[in-house]
Amino acid sequence: MAEVKLEGVSHRYEGARAHTLENLDLSVASGGCHALLGSSGAGKTTLLNLLSGLELPSSGCILFDGEDVSKLDAGRRNVAQVFQFPVLYESLDVARNLEFPLKTRGMPRRDRQARAVEVAGRLGIEELLGRRARELSLFEKQLVAIGRALVRPDVALVLLDEPLTAVEPARKWQLRRVLKQAQQELGATMIYVTHDQTEALTFAEQISVLHQGEVVQTGSPTDLFERPASEYVAEFVGSPGMNLVPGEVRDGSLLVHGHALGIRVAEAPGACTVGFRPEWARAISAGSDGPGVPAQVTDTRTQGVRQRRPVGVVRAKLGEREVSLRQALDVTTGDAVILQLDQLVAFRGGAYLQGWSRVEDGTYARA
Amino acid sequence: MPERRSTNLAWFGVLPVVLVVAFSAVIPLMTVVNYSLQDIFDLNTRVFVGFDWYRETLRDPRFLEALVRQGLFSMAVLVIQLPLGILVAKGLPKSGWRASFMLVLIALPLLIPWNVVGTIWQIFARPDIGLLGAALAGLGVDFNYTASPVDAWITVLMMDVWHWTSLVALLAYAGLAAIPQAYYQAAALDGAGPWEVFRYVELPRLRSVLIIAILLRLMDSFMIYTEPFVLTGGGPGNATTFLSQYLTSMAVGQFDLGPAAAFSVLYFLLILLMCWVFYTLVMREAHE
Repeated sequence: MAEVKLEGVSHRYEGARAHTLENLDLSVASGGCHALLGSSGAGKTTLLNLLSGLELPSSGCILFDGEDVSKLDAGRRNVAQVFQFPVLYESLDVARNLEFPLKTRGMPRRDRQARAVEVAGRLGIEELLGRRARELSLFEKQLVAIGRALVRPDVALVLLDEPLTAVEPARKWQLRRVLKQAQQELGATMIYVTHDQTEALTFAEQISVLHQGEVVQTGSPTDLFERPASEYVAEFVGSPGMNLVPGEVRDGSLLVHGHALGIRVAEAPGACTVGFRPEWARAISAGSDGPGVPAQVTDTRTQGVRQRRPVGVVRAKLGEREVSLRQALDVTTGDAVILQLDQLVAFRGGAYLQGWSRVEDGTYARA
Repeated sequence: MPERRSTNLAWFGVLPVVLVVAFSAVIPLMTVVNYSLQDIFDLNTRVFVGFDWYRETLRDPRFLEALVRQGLFSMAVLVIQLPLGILVAKGLPKSGWRASFMLVLIALPLLIPWNVVGTIWQIFARPDIGLLGAALAGLGVDFNYTASPVDAWITVLMMDVWHWTSLVALLAYAGLAAIPQAYYQAAALDGAGPWEVFRYVELPRLRSVLIIAILLRLMDSFMIYTEPFVLTGGGPGNATTFLSQYLTSMAVGQFDLGPAAAFSVLYFLLILLMCWVFYTLVMREAHE
């Protein structure tokens, strides 16, 4: 396991006009678990291939424990990878699959057999050791593939490329737990690449959001939810993502869609964007007290029942914008409502400006 | 769902197929079986001899020699063409116009009529005017496929390799193209060298296509007739007389209809047996 650092890494494919990755910095602590989250085309696969050495960066440095490995190819970098679908040596049995990366590195037979048994034990697949790889179920195969990635005791970095994609939904959590546990026990440095934010947010301590070849934010799941660095991150993280409505700073106070909520700001006057998560706001029937933003309910979707009351997503219209709210369904389509915001953030020029949350007396304090 | 009724009318539906198969396969085959049990002097004079012709054929040293020769030839064909075909497939470009171009280029020998292939090599290897033969002669190598059995074998084998390796290569190429890139990437990360990649990634995934390749090449080489007939005429002596050739000389050349028929039936059964063995293998492969 190693500390992994990327410094100003850029990559452009041969013949391509634009860079796939541009001036990328990333730092993963030794034994840490880092997720790379991005939609397709964000450069995730390229970044993976740069880390594993299947591609070499056009410029910049990749450091493992301070040592520059940018020019080393895949075989000499000591990186392992778990792919989207299970990649095994199908003609070999499970034990020999697990031993394979040790054998190519010249580990004595007895040692590698012991290590394979140990790793199989950690993953709970000892009983599969004698089975042929091609006879296994998809789930078992992916477990073995994970085992093969973790088997090298000195592996610098383990890459996971959406490893849960091929597994049936019911077993995803099981596989995720096994993976997480093995990571902690074996202390491997892991980078988990996915477009699925639930996987990223539940698996990793630190998440980097990748967008158009750049890391737009790195932080903990809470950071990404509470203080998104940009409007892109705000909308991309969360399902549904953050609601964004037009705002304005006028006379030292923040207006949300033209309505004052009693929030004092020191920023320069002018337009801004106000964001709030579906969990941060609540639509209540118009006529209630307290500051809020008037809106009209356009749709409700039941997603469950809590204390005998249906809960779900309320869609409401604020002028031209539609917003989503996660709440009890005590309003119906067509209702005129007031949106009460418990928490909100403001963006200017696409970048994070400031955040507030409502305190007990109904006023807002800076978050 | 429509009601299911059992009706004998359906038999009339399959009647055309039964008739076609009967006339094209079963009746000619039964004619041969009929011939193989008789001694035929002329159109009106024939004697039933039971299994005599079979016994005689199986004791005929020339038949046994041709059979051994045939076995050796087919083995040599497989031993040379399979590895060579895989090697060619691995060397071909993976994509782009170069790949298409090379595929068409190596497929060319497959498109040439068999007797033309024989003629090409008959001329190509001639020591007096053939490019290969004359070149060898110029280098001082005494190469003459009409005089030396070894040279004749080499020429026949080279010709078959030239004619058919492309088939193995195309099959292997298709098999290789079907391997997802991730398998190569995983092997690279695992530190596997070229041999290990071939042994543990490519070969297992080529299994099915290679079984097909073996089947096709074995059957085809076992029935080879035209090319050696044109090239060497089965000579020198009987050095390149394979089963088909001997059969033809027996039936057409000497007009020994009874023995030739018995030979044909045995030949047919042999091929049928090989087919069955391979069918079993392929089916077992499909179940795994």
